[in-house]
Amino acid sequence: MKELFRGRNIRPFRFIVQLLGLGFMFGQMLGLPPFGTHPMLRRIFLPNASCRYINEAPTSCYYYQLQDGLTQGYTDVYIDVILMLLIVLMLIIALGRIWCSWLCPFGLVQEGLMKLRGSVGIPPLKLKWRTRTLLRRVKYAFLFFTVLLSVPIGIGALGIGGCQSTLALPFCQVCPAKGFFTVAQQLLGLEPWSTGLPWIALCSLLVFLIVGFFIDMAFCRVCPMGGVMALLGRFSLPWLRKDPSKCTKCRICLRVCPLDHDRVYEDMDADDVGSEDCTLCGKCVEMCPEEGCLTMMYGPFSVKSSRRPRKMGLWRSLGKKKGPEANNGK
Amino acid sequence: MENEGPRYLKDRKGYFPKDQRQRTRKRSREMEASVSSDLKKQRNRPGKMAYFDEVLKYGGMRFEELREFHKKGGKIVGTLCVMVPLELVNAAGARSVRMCSGYYEPVHPANELLGDAGLCPMVKSTLGRKMVSSDPLIDLIDLVAGPATCDGKMKLAEILEDWVPVVMMNIPRVKVGETSSDLWVKEIVHLKDRLEELTGHPVRKKALKEELSQWNEANQYWSEIQKLRRSERPPISGRDAMLVVQASQFDDIRRWNRKVKELIEELQRMRTKGIFAGEEGAARILLAGSPMIYPNFKIPSIIEGSGGTIVTDELCSGYRLMSDPVLVDGLSKKEIYQAIAERYFFPCSCPCFSPNDERVRRLKEVIKAFGIEGVVFHTLRGCHLNNLEATKIELALREISVPMVRIESEYDEGDIEQVRTRIEAFVEMIKARREYHRNPILEDVQ
Repeated sequence: MKELFRGRNIRPFRFIVQLLGLGFMFGQMLGLPPFGTHPMLRRIFLPNASCRYINEAPTSCYYYQLQDGLTQGYTDVYIDVILMLLIVLMLIIALGRIWCSWLCPFGLVQEGLMKLRGSVGIPPLKLKWRTRTLLRRVKYAFLFFTVLLSVPIGIGALGIGGCQSTLALPFCQVCPAKGFFTVAQQLLGLEPWSTGLPWIALCSLLVFLIVGFFIDMAFCRVCPMGGVMALLGRFSLPWLRKDPSKCTKCRICLRVCPLDHDRVYEDMDADDVGSEDCTLCGKCVEMCPEEGCLTMMYGPFSVKSSRRPRKMGLWRSLGKKKGPEANNGK
Repeated sequence: MENEGPRYLKDRKGYFPKDQRQRTRKRSREMEASVSSDLKKQRNRPGKMAYFDEVLKYGGMRFEELREFHKKGGKIVGTLCVMVPLELVNAAGARSVRMCSGYYEPVHPANELLGDAGLCPMVKSTLGRKMVSSDPLIDLIDLVAGPATCDGKMKLAEILEDWVPVVMMNIPRVKVGETSSDLWVKEIVHLKDRLEELTGHPVRKKALKEELSQWNEANQYWSEIQKLRRSERPPISGRDAMLVVQASQFDDIRRWNRKVKELIEELQRMRTKGIFAGEEGAARILLAGSPMIYPNFKIPSIIEGSGGTIVTDELCSGYRLMSDPVLVDGLSKKEIYQAIAERYFFPCSCPCFSPNDERVRRLKEVIKAFGIEGVVFHTLRGCHLNNLEATKIELALREISVPMVRIESEYDEGDIEQVRTRIEAFVEMIKARREYHRNPILEDVQ
């Protein structure tokens, strides 16, 4: 735990936000009072993997609602889906992919895996560039096929409504988060043991846990919710900016990036280096040794800039032991 | 090694006359002494500089220490380039010495052997120094780490193999993509293996982390000095700053850190009192191009002797030695080696790399930040890479209307007056230019 806080100026803050987010998403299960009694407040959908299969949780992932609405909403002219998408759109524009790396519970699970891997001393497995760029498209494929499967079921005229019991919620069936949270609830004793476990989801969980142990943030690379956010990413307010004139091309930003987002390193012309695939975890900003080179933006406001630390250990320290300039009062 | 025999020099013992070593040693010592006394005559020189003089002195305090260390069975590793990670050398329990030579006299024996008058004099001097052992320090070296950067350095490492074991490091010269990074990481790990073989004890992660944080601290102090040099009247002269940073290549980095900290405190006191190095209203010059290794301080001395002050440089014997820290995210050994490898490879703007657009970009940025009024681009004779880039840089500087003068020099004192005339004219031109081109940045600098 000490290691987690050591010398990093965004990471501890992000960890606190993640814990707060967990409290928000699952607090009710632990006995915190509910948000309200209105039926709308019973299930708030968020653009992250706060899983629908956690019973009693006040939040759910909107991807469940999307699939559900598409399979059932034909007669209602998809009114639920459209309403929900509008709300989610606003959430995404307001926070962008902050939802992923700061608030997603499954993201936290994967970071725990990264931590575990690091403490065992195994280096992360870096994929080839071609594989990385191909993987980025997988999330759009997931998105496409989910819609492709869900919509015809909902259109009653096609007469395949009978498939609903088997083919409804196609992505949830394979989503590792579902596998994780259903089992986690039973392990924690929040739910009674049952034999009706989602086996497909559990298999995919196993795969992603093993792969995610070696490859950083394996699921985030293919998450279809991220795909929706990526499509809307251009319009979201949080973003990453770089001052190319200060960059020395030392490649630290690329090396520490858990999602191998290369534009921060490569781009030397535009100052706008964020991308739809960047989850804004801020690792590059905190590790960049150049004063004011990388900046995390919220709309037009800069939230956090990279800086040359006063005292440089192996990591950046929070400035407990002060360097030579500290007495200078400059 | 023994079976092969020397490949470049057939008869090692009888090749040079016996008095050549003595003569080279004497001349080298004299040259170092005269350059050092020249440095000591500078106006308002900080008192703490005496320590750094001593570290780089021919046969000085650091040499005695290293000899003691060597006598006790310690290993000394010579480096031929800034791209050799000294952290690794020290973590393996060896001591590092930069082999690049700035002495003029050893050029002659190398010239005799190679007969290539157009070759880079630094390469020849380094070779000659080892051939006739013009410096007792050179004889202590047990292993040479030589990245194959430019042609001269590559062949130098090869020739040196006749005298001392060499680790050739295959540096990728095309700086793109993953392949170059992977190759260089492998080379760094190979160097580590050779160092472990040499010293007999493994590079432990703890020692490596400790060394890395010491060097990062050194980096931090150096950037502190750079910050002081940015002020309108720099409290330290360019030659002294180069001396300080070059001393780090020989010294024990912990002691160096301590001494530099003291120096910085002195410089800060000087600044608050309004004491500064150099002349009033000196032209602010940036030194670029080929390395200038102590005691080859010919051109810096001329610049600072004729009304200019070297505010900063972009030499691999100056600023570039300490420009970037090694920052590690993961803790596995592989990640640490990767971090080291990438720090020594990617930000380096040596002209042996292509593409090297960063160099021009950095240069422009530095010119803006330091309020530079003119650039002296120095190339050693035969440094084609720097010569080729000089043209590119000259064109880029023309865009931001900063004048640049190109000076080619050799390792001898014959061209001093000629260079002086050109530099004096350049400095005069800068000063005359001020009336029309008052550099707007200069006022902003502190």
